Amino acid sequence: MADGKAVAAGPPAAVVAKGDAAAGADPALFTFAEFDRDAGERIGWSNYSYWRSTLHMFLRNRVALFLLVLLGTILAFTFLQPLLPNQRSPTLINIDPATGRQFRNLVPSAEYWFGTNSIGQDLWSRIWSGTRTSLLIGIIVGVVEMVLGIAFGAIWGYVRKADRVFTEVYNVLNNIPTTIVLMLLAYIMRPSFQTMVIAMCAAGWHGVARFVRNQIVIIRDREYNLASRCLGTPTHRIIMKNLLPYLVSVIMLQTALSIPGTIGWEVFLTYIGIGLPVSIPSLGNLVNEGRLIMMAPELRYQLIFPTIVVSIITISFYVLGNAFSDASDPRNHV
Amino acid sequence: MSDGTDKLLEIRNLRVDFPVRGGLFTAVRDVNFSIRKGETFGLVGESGSGKTTIGRAIVRIAQASSGEILFRGRRINGRITRELDSEVVQKIQMIFQDPMASLNERAKVDYIVSEGIINLGKFKNEAERLALVEKALLEVGLLPEFASRFPHEFSGGQRQRIGIARSLIMEPELVICDEPISALDVSIRAQVLNLMSELQKSKGLTYLFIAHDLSVVRFITDRIAVINKGELVELAETEELFAHPLHPYTRALLSAIPVPDPILERKKVLIVYDPASRDYRTDKPAWTEIAAGHFARANEAEAAEYRRLLAR
Repeated sequence: MADGKAVAAGPPAAVVAKGDAAAGADPALFTFAEFDRDAGERIGWSNYSYWRSTLHMFLRNRVALFLLVLLGTILAFTFLQPLLPNQRSPTLINIDPATGRQFRNLVPSAEYWFGTNSIGQDLWSRIWSGTRTSLLIGIIVGVVEMVLGIAFGAIWGYVRKADRVFTEVYNVLNNIPTTIVLMLLAYIMRPSFQTMVIAMCAAGWHGVARFVRNQIVIIRDREYNLASRCLGTPTHRIIMKNLLPYLVSVIMLQTALSIPGTIGWEVFLTYIGIGLPVSIPSLGNLVNEGRLIMMAPELRYQLIFPTIVVSIITISFYVLGNAFSDASDPRNHV
Repeated sequence: MSDGTDKLLEIRNLRVDFPVRGGLFTAVRDVNFSIRKGETFGLVGESGSGKTTIGRAIVRIAQASSGEILFRGRRINGRITRELDSEVVQKIQMIFQDPMASLNERAKVDYIVSEGIINLGKFKNEAERLALVEKALLEVGLLPEFASRFPHEFSGGQRQRIGIARSLIMEPELVICDEPISALDVSIRAQVLNLMSELQKSKGLTYLFIAHDLSVVRFITDRIAVINKGELVELAETEELFAHPLHPYTRALLSAIPVPDPILERKKVLIVYDPASRDYRTDKPAWTEIAAGHFARANEAEAAEYRRLLAR
């Protein structure tokens, strides 16, 4: 009742005001506005797109952009380098034609930009070849772990009945030390690129699964998920449409950090002697070779060059992961 | 009002337990009521009294531990067939309390509104789906062009109306409104309430209206059930309940309604409900019909007392 009266009292006052204004001003300047209910609904809107805003926020971070370009260039160059003219094979042992002896431990020069190692192989081409191997291992392992981890973690986190079983399986797997898993698998299979990838995926996927599971448990009982259940949405679509889109930023951060982590494991495995065979250059092999002669100051370049590359890759992925994680968090979108 | 025989939903001896550290917590016990077709049934009680749990048990988000929930005479709790399941999903829908939390922030309004009909496959082609979404949005007073936007671009009232559109596109018969306006700005509440009333008239909806705001409940409901600590304490037609509250808890609740007059408000005497004031050691309370359509939880002595009060 009170509302009705207030509304009814409105129009006469407005008419009086309009009459006053019209008396003093040119009537051509004023037109009556029709009442439009829809006009009240129209709101300022931004034509928002999640991925466009993510890209926009990411591009605003100059440091991350620089590191992305740097990392992209490094990755591209590892593939381009063998195609350039006057490059030596990373496994070729260079022999001095005059003496018939190997060019052992030559310091960096115009001929051998990064010097040679203890058996006369060109460190420049070995570093690029090794970076390619290690980055590929890191990226493949990162992607496989992410796919397995999301698939199992999402079911683990969302399907309540599965929680118990998955938790027990996880407890068993997690209680086997990673080192032992890696060493066993590396022993069982021949040391090779595939072996490394399989071993590291086997050692790491359940950690990612638990991470995804915890994230899903945090958001699974929010009201919008209950609403979807009321609407009869099947579990797989709830996971794909309601849960995973919320986890993009944390999952990307996790994956970005796992790539340098994998490279670190590769270095460690090579250090304990079960990594890639010496015939395949990798950052692990190079760091390991450099480590052996670390005590001779004039030969330290053999450790320093691969270490610089490892550092650049690690720092870049870390910064990129954080930058992307921030950019893909819609709370940071304007 | 309907004659009382046309029960859309009937709840018998409903009990809902939740596992807690070291045992079970009983959120709802011994709940009996039925909702008639076309009415608005209010369920009121303080926070934590179990009113939301009852709503969630009906849409089967919460599992009923025992008792029966009958929809059109068919049991819908426990194990049910796939056909009945999708029928219940379509016929019973829910409107949620917090419009800020109940919409998927990463989906466009288009998907949010059509989610239900995608699940049920209620359209033949994309054009028909878009037409249904457009119709649903127009029905709740939103513009069709909103379909391509994300929820965060809308105000609280608009978001709640998106939530209403999402349930109505299913063409439900019973809508569970879980405190649909308590999270809204006061200036928007009337708008959403009026919309709900209009929709009820035009579509013949039945509402289970869960709330704690008694003045709103009085405005919108036909019958009210009062719940305290998981048990119904009183059920009557709205005006009957406000005129003759019997159970001490109901009286305490009604005495707490704010009066929009500072002088009266200051003089108002609050009744405080003390469960210990009643002696149930020998005479156990039961769900008793005191007068036609007026139920209360009372033992025999209290029932006699209540009947005497009503007769006066």
